[in-house]
Amino acid sequence: MSILLKLPQTKRSLVNIIRCSSNISSSDTPKFDMENPFEKEKQKCILCQTGVQVDYKNTKLLSQFQSSYTGRIYGRHITRLCKQQQEIVEREIGKAQNAGLMSSYNKDPAFLGDPKLYDVDNPIRPHRF
Amino acid sequence: MITYELCVLFRMMPKAELVTCLKRTANAIYNKGGILRKLENLGTKDTPYKISSHGLVHRQASYFVYEMNVPPANLDDLSEELARDVDIVRKTIFRKNLDNEVEDCTLHEELQPAPYRKDVKDLIAKARKLDKPKFVYGNNLKYYPSRNNYYWIY
Repeated sequence: MSILLKLPQTKRSLVNIIRCSSNISSSDTPKFDMENPFEKEKQKCILCQTGVQVDYKNTKLLSQFQSSYTGRIYGRHITRLCKQQQEIVEREIGKAQNAGLMSSYNKDPAFLGDPKLYDVDNPIRPHRF
Repeated sequence: MITYELCVLFRMMPKAELVTCLKRTANAIYNKGGILRKLENLGTKDTPYKISSHGLVHRQASYFVYEMNVPPANLDDLSEELARDVDIVRKTIFRKNLDNEVEDCTLHEELQPAPYRKDVKDLIAKARKLDKPKFVYGNNLKYYPSRNNYYWIY
């Protein structure tokens, strides 16, 4: 190869061959303007996914976002809700507690067996406590 | 026209009395120039916490929700009138929820690492604004004057 390249004529011809081959646009050449095929699917929070309307009268749903030990509302990093939904849930829980529909120091014992919507021990960000 | 929800807790009483109480509350709404849209019974059950009102402690109550349209100016009067009712343990007036639906879920963006999140980016940009202005050498000249001097000497 090195001997060939030393001759000016052969070198020129080689370059021509390479240039031509790179300019060929056949159906086999990959298209580089396509979208990222490895992009992950967008995650949605459980309330947006199911389209459930949050209402202060629906205490069974609201108490699922409450700690069974202290009655406190779990944070966004535990419930895995989006910012808007978490705000709505917190507002509706406050309304329910004011109206005398829901307790604020404990979870209603009737709802203790409800299915868990999220894992309390596996928050997105670590706890402060 | 704003639709309100009036959540009322009546004390424990016989059915006949409860009916008169419900009528009385409905009449109070009518007298304030309002109309009733719906009356919902949420049942008689234990209250989540003990509630004291009018000198009595209540641990059980009958829950009702009135859906109504009342002129907003008369809302305080209505609330005050219901507060004087001895049979009512607790009453709260809420604006009825319009669609609480969220258009697009932002959870995906919120799960990104901190430097990629929009709120963090905004915070950083805000902090950069507070930086002290830095002295720029060269008086906005396009060239570096000392370097020219260097060439001038030699």
